[in-house]
Amino acid sequence: MKKKLLIGALVGFLTLSVSLTGCGNKEASSSSSGGGSQGDTIKIGALFNLTGDQSSLDTPALNGAKLAVKEINAKGGVLGKMIELDVQDGKTDQTTCTNAISQMINVDKVVAVTGLSDSNYALAAGPIAQNAKIPFLTSGATLPTLPDQVGDYFFLCPFGDNVQAYAGAEFAYNDLHAKKAYILTDKAMDYTVTLSKYFKERFTKLAGPDSIVLEDSYQTSDVDFKAQITRLKALSTKPDVLYVAADPSKCGVIAKQMRDAGVTTPILGGDGYDTPLLIGLGGKEGSKNVYFTTHASMDNPDPVVQNFIKAYQEEYKKDPENAFAMLGYDAIYLLADAIKRANSTDPTAIRDALAKTTDFKGVTGSIAYKDGQRVPTKSVTILTVKDGKFAFVKEVIPQ
Amino acid sequence: MLNRREKTCTLVALALVIGLLALANSFLNQYYLRLINVMGINIILVVSLNFTNGLTGVFSLGHPGFMAVGAYTAALLTIPLRQKAFILPDLPAWLAQAHASFPVALLAAGTVAAICAFLIGYPVLRLRGHYLALATLGFLVIVQVVVTNVSQITRGARGINGLPPETNIWWVYGITIALIYLSWRLVHSAYGRGMMAIRGDDLAAEALGVNLVKHRMLAFTLGAFFAGVGGALWGHLITVVSPNAFSFAQAFILVVMSVIGGMGSITGSIIGAVVMTLIPEALRGLEVGTTIAGFHIPPLYGLSQVIYSVALIIVLAVRPQGIVGLREFSMRRWLKN
Repeated sequence: MKKKLLIGALVGFLTLSVSLTGCGNKEASSSSSGGGSQGDTIKIGALFNLTGDQSSLDTPALNGAKLAVKEINAKGGVLGKMIELDVQDGKTDQTTCTNAISQMINVDKVVAVTGLSDSNYALAAGPIAQNAKIPFLTSGATLPTLPDQVGDYFFLCPFGDNVQAYAGAEFAYNDLHAKKAYILTDKAMDYTVTLSKYFKERFTKLAGPDSIVLEDSYQTSDVDFKAQITRLKALSTKPDVLYVAADPSKCGVIAKQMRDAGVTTPILGGDGYDTPLLIGLGGKEGSKNVYFTTHASMDNPDPVVQNFIKAYQEEYKKDPENAFAMLGYDAIYLLADAIKRANSTDPTAIRDALAKTTDFKGVTGSIAYKDGQRVPTKSVTILTVKDGKFAFVKEVIPQ
Repeated sequence: MLNRREKTCTLVALALVIGLLALANSFLNQYYLRLINVMGINIILVVSLNFTNGLTGVFSLGHPGFMAVGAYTAALLTIPLRQKAFILPDLPAWLAQAHASFPVALLAAGTVAAICAFLIGYPVLRLRGHYLALATLGFLVIVQVVVTNVSQITRGARGINGLPPETNIWWVYGITIALIYLSWRLVHSAYGRGMMAIRGDDLAAEALGVNLVKHRMLAFTLGAFFAGVGGALWGHLITVVSPNAFSFAQAFILVVMSVIGGMGSITGSIIGAVVMTLIPEALRGLEVGTTIAGFHIPPLYGLSQVIYSVALIIVLAVRPQGIVGLREFSMRRWLKN
């Protein structure tokens, strides 16, 4: 008897959940017919991986985006309409990402989509927006070939990985006076493989074809780098700089193990280093003499940056976690700017206006899409670690 | 076997399903169609997993490995040649020139996955219980490492993108219906009875003359064939295949679907796949926060994963055999009532 009751409860629970699908969607569709692009709100899709491995990048990015929407609406919105953010969690899963973006476009009728910080998910979600002719401005994915791979409705808000790797190589050659470089790459990630590829391309062009003393690799899941460090120390020609293309979870670990083994050569990396984990895992000693390229610096005295930081602190009672918060914020302002210039909420008109962006002043630098490119020409910020804190070094626009 | 009346009813039911699919195809928007396709692919994956995990009692965690093999095989065959030359310049010449239509690619995907299953089946299927589960998990890890590192063929962690979006409701449900029919025929054949005998007690089954390795091998390769086809369908729905999609988490989700529906039952596999596709999707809509009757619910990201796990615990605690257990839907019983 008791068992039957429990089974009944279970079946009831399942039916309820399934019927809620209909409910939730009905609500979404009714609100879209009431509001949507024709009514008094403009719907923008925000697809972020809020749970899973990507959440440390995407949650700050969503916070930035929400802050931007709040500010814009407080000033009266765009074209006299309020912006409504349609937030969906992609769960760091490609199937869920594609389901979510399809729901935004087909059910909720968004006019544009922003979000995602990793190319693997952008490559899955992007084509759906492309086929529906809805502009997709990724807030954080940095693969430079993404717009070519997805199509003419896909734009990057951050710089491409080629640009930051070029900036890293030029900084190593010009400012660190490095003549020989060592490269360590995480082979399991697209991001790190791309960084190393472009760093090598620019550095060998500057310092000569024999300037790379060793190219070594590891996998994201590795935790012990003794083998790589032993090979590095055994080199007859010592490198002047170590380019370590690592993701947020590994950069601090590698730096610490290298310093512990007595390697004091400067370490250089990409925007994956822009995480509290670099100092948290590397420690004060481990993160010494570490440089990295990223999107923006909190120390930048530019009022645009300082105002953003102040607004973020007021809204969320904490400092922006990393540059992805700024990118999420910029992406919304850039879309709003495009809608204003298009003077329309028609997705194709927004796309055309976005493509004509010539000088958009954002927190992460000024954005321009030149010569039909959909990856912006943007300045790269170089940071270092001083006494356990990030410190601004310089801002560069690579050649 | 079915009598005449049951046969007619089955055919009518089939026609009804096809009619509903046709209606869905012409009237639903892309989002719901995508959901229906994902559901169908999950049915294919869980029903094919049922050959080993359910019918034969061979607990395999290697299903996503076969999906990966199938998805990559089909991707390499369907991508237009010009695009292939651009994104995979270091491909061996015979592979660079290979091109096939979608159905041929699906068949190739299944075949290559089945060959892999046959090759690893020989050493692995002699193991029992936990050892076998671990060995299949090992296969999954090997596939992931190989796919990540053979970058001249697979593009490594970057994955292959730009697959033609060939997957549609007819391919998915055509294969689903064929697989269910095949499954049903198998269960009612000598081979299927042999498999179930092995599940019950492999020593007793062997004593009665059931060839253990042969039966297990049949279940394993057949399951792998359809896992390969399912993987290929998935790849052409998402239009990008990358190694991290075929992870242990995917194996876990498939096993959960099978357990919740009822391991060993075709009906259970279908119900498990349908329920566990729709619930997380429904909950995803809820976790963004909503207002019901003036009561505002704040966003609760990650809620769906929690509820998913709670549902699994409830099912395992209350009904360890799953929603339908070992029972099957029966036209005869249904007509009697």
